[in-house]
Amino acid sequence: MSEVSSNSSIKTDPSTFLSGIIGSKVSVKLNNGVSYVGNLQSIDGFMNIVMDTTAEFIGGAASGTKYGDVFIRGNNVLYISKV
Amino acid sequence: MADVQPQQKQEEPLDLIRYQLDETVLVKLRGAREMKGKLQGYDSHCNMVLSDATEYIYAENQDKPQGKSTDMVFIRGDSVILISPVAE
Amino acid sequence: MLFFSFFKTLVDQEVTVELKNDMEIKGVLKSVDQYLNLKLDNISCTNDVKYPHLNSVKNLFIRGSTVRYIHLNPNSVDCTLLQDASRRGPWFKPPSKGCPLAHTKLQCIIDRLNI
Repeated sequence: MSEVSSNSSIKTDPSTFLSGIIGSKVSVKLNNGVSYVGNLQSIDGFMNIVMDTTAEFIGGAASGTKYGDVFIRGNNVLYISKV
Repeated sequence: MADVQPQQKQEEPLDLIRYQLDETVLVKLRGAREMKGKLQGYDSHCNMVLSDATEYIYAENQDKPQGKSTDMVFIRGDSVILISPVAE
Repeated sequence: MLFFSFFKTLVDQEVTVELKNDMEIKGVLKSVDQYLNLKLDNISCTNDVKYPHLNSVKNLFIRGSTVRYIHLNPNSVDCTLLQDASRRGPWFKPPSKGCPLAHTKLQCIIDRLNI
């Protein structure tokens, strides 16, 4: 699917990584420990994020809260990873 | 110049909040709070004005949050964690 | 800058400011700056049983960063204008032209700042 992120032997800088995972399923962990798993729609330089079909996980367990679309303010983001 | 991007300009996250103007949104805030209301305005810091809003405060010792309603409220952006449209 | 302009249109109106330490202060908005620091006149604490510190204070400067909410009078907010101004973002980039369509106070202030 995406050539950029699947080939881990090529060095990628953070912004290449971020633009490469747009459209993929990602996990976003926030500073408060809560994480969100969903499809990455969009991301900017502040790490503001928009995801769709998002599920919330508190302490590793699904909290049951689902969001169709969700905007996350960048200052709360600890990490983003492709799942 | 050889490989021109096939898509048009990528939408930024804040562009997607714009579609929520005049719609009901749920804002998750620091301090175990949420605010639901109609989005009347926002800026790049996520400062916002909501109308016909209800604030929900979640306390440790009770399951149901207590609700407080307010006709028009400004929310300072630094308390904002996430913003999501509310299906109605 | 949008909310700076917005709050300038609310000067002399009564507002209730809720701080991040849970105090709620009602007063007349006298002044605002670009950081959304506020000056309030004629203040009273709406939850002064819990917070009796300000019983003898009439007039207050509030650092913008300590504010959680500002409750407003819905009749003094022009929602259509605020929505349109938000749609016009980004607010930090000046637009290429002037303001031929300026009708109202808020609109004029926004446009003047954008020059």
